[in-house]
Amino acid sequence: MTRTLLVTGGGGVGKTTVAAAIGVRAARSGLRTLVVTVDPARRLASALGVEELGNEPQPHAEEPNLWAAMLDATASWRAVAMRHAEPDVAARLADNEFFRAASEHFPASQSYAAADQAATFVQAKAWDLVVVDTPPSGGGIDFFTAPAQMADLVGGRLLRWITGGPLPGRRVFFNLAARPMLRIADTILGSDLLERVAEFLLDLRTTYDGVSRRGREIEGVLRSASILVVTTSDPAPVREAIKFYRELPGLASIPVAVLFNRILPPNWADATAPAGTSAALEANLARWSAETVRQRDTREEFSSRYGAHIATIRWSSAPPTDLGGLAGLLDQADGLPWAELGLAATGS
Amino acid sequence: MGRGRGQTRPPHPVGRPGLTTPMLDKRLILISGKGGVGKSAVAAGLALLGQRRGLRVLAMEMDSPGGLSAHFGTGPLEFEPREVRPGLHAMQMVRSDALLEYLALQLNIKGMSRLGALARAFDALATTAPGIREIITIGKAVWEVREDRWDVVIADAPPTGQIGSFLRAPVTISELVPTGRIRTQADFMSETLKDPKLTELILMCLPEELPVTETEETMRWLAKEDLVTKPRVIANRVLEELTDPDTPPGPVGEAAALHRSWWQEQQHWLDRLPPDHSLPYLYGLFTPGEVAAHMADELEAFA
Repeated sequence: MTRTLLVTGGGGVGKTTVAAAIGVRAARSGLRTLVVTVDPARRLASALGVEELGNEPQPHAEEPNLWAAMLDATASWRAVAMRHAEPDVAARLADNEFFRAASEHFPASQSYAAADQAATFVQAKAWDLVVVDTPPSGGGIDFFTAPAQMADLVGGRLLRWITGGPLPGRRVFFNLAARPMLRIADTILGSDLLERVAEFLLDLRTTYDGVSRRGREIEGVLRSASILVVTTSDPAPVREAIKFYRELPGLASIPVAVLFNRILPPNWADATAPAGTSAALEANLARWSAETVRQRDTREEFSSRYGAHIATIRWSSAPPTDLGGLAGLLDQADGLPWAELGLAATGS
Repeated sequence: MGRGRGQTRPPHPVGRPGLTTPMLDKRLILISGKGGVGKSAVAAGLALLGQRRGLRVLAMEMDSPGGLSAHFGTGPLEFEPREVRPGLHAMQMVRSDALLEYLALQLNIKGMSRLGALARAFDALATTAPGIREIITIGKAVWEVREDRWDVVIADAPPTGQIGSFLRAPVTISELVPTGRIRTQADFMSETLKDPKLTELILMCLPEELPVTETEETMRWLAKEDLVTKPRVIANRVLEELTDPDTPPGPVGEAAALHRSWWQEQQHWLDRLPPDHSLPYLYGLFTPGEVAAHMADELEAFA
């Protein structure tokens, strides 16, 4: 059976590094492990053994049991719609300006593509563990809501709004161009833009059955996955992390833990400088002590308010960017629920 | 809505010379940056600073809700600007509301009921057509600049990953729509965004690998596209140098070692992308309100 671990959270919290570290650790404990990531830092990507975007998992040259894939989200979203389109529709979509725009700019498209691809890897049953570094869009929440949003986009709701009534066939639609509303729209837009959009949506709608069926499959995979929320102690990512406790019921399991990355040594909270310390060093300790207190208060509030399991990783001046460093990162972690992550407590 | 704003009104005369230093002399300040670098905090700080100086400020949350409002401590913001401090109004960009407002002004329709169907059709368009969603958002900010109500509009703008499609929206529209009112407006927006007397684009950055890389990519792209005034880079959470080289045992020395190594790592990225300004690391500050107030103090030096 393939276990799925979704490592999620806002941007800039070290999510990708944590996902990679868990992947390396799992691989070293003998699990066939795939790490799926979107847009990692270059050094991290090369540590994982992937240099180029692509949806084909690459086996790691030095680390047996480890595979990695760096998703090209735009390409995969396009592939999804194409997969469910009849050949003539697919051909029209392929060079449609709105389709390109929708696949590049639709807010959930990157998340949808990543979710779809991750689900494909899980369903392939080729790995013991699939670790997914989710796209940061919407603080990671978009990853879970994307299948429904995508079905909504292709489902014709938008089309009904344009035509203002029941869904027309292609032929009927052109007669509707005489509607006053479309005339007003054309005055503002100065062209037949709305009509062209409607045409595109008609084409897209033919993929609805396929896309919504696939959406339900993806949602099933996401619901049965374990979730690890990564955050720092800063207010913005903490706000994103809270969403996983407030907004996700039904779409996902309760996160196995919130991992606070880059925490300062807890004993600094009440540390004082001994007599004879220089003023500069004393002031330095005082400010980092204040920072430690702030971090601790943030964690305690999160735990008491949301009943979340809290785990931590110590701050380090330079995050690991090679295999050895990644494998060692989790040694500095406290409180990680190893079993629920699918890992043995004493790995590597 | 219904404030008698017309599309023919000339732009508001520029600034109040002598009253403020350059940044807050602009009429529109867009603040972007990679997610999590302190965009909202600086937007809120700038707004508070403007208010302290007696400017009439509109702070606009253009992106995801919550960032700006948390810093003002006022609860969720709405589309209609609310006075959160004397002279400082704040609003949340809501696309459907902005669309309704736009259509009402364009069509001169008083009753909202007739607009409903049209607005929904446009909303479908905005979800699908490139540039429409973005132009409604960026357009709202640019239109507010024309309002006599504000001396400066400060926008907590979309993150650098998305800012390109917003700034490019007027051009995208021009490419897609050959004529018509929306085209004329798109041209006006382009002019405003490119006018260095009116518009300031701030790219917030942290001295770390990913934010620096992303900022560099954004700057390269902006230089190539020529859509907006030259951006100003502000590095956030910059540590000061610890001059005492001693490392005694215990937390004193540990904290010193941490500070030095972090400082050194930051210097590497600051050398690679020298910022126009730096903001210090704020230690132990807890509430977003405290953070914003401190930001305002720090911004005093150069804004």
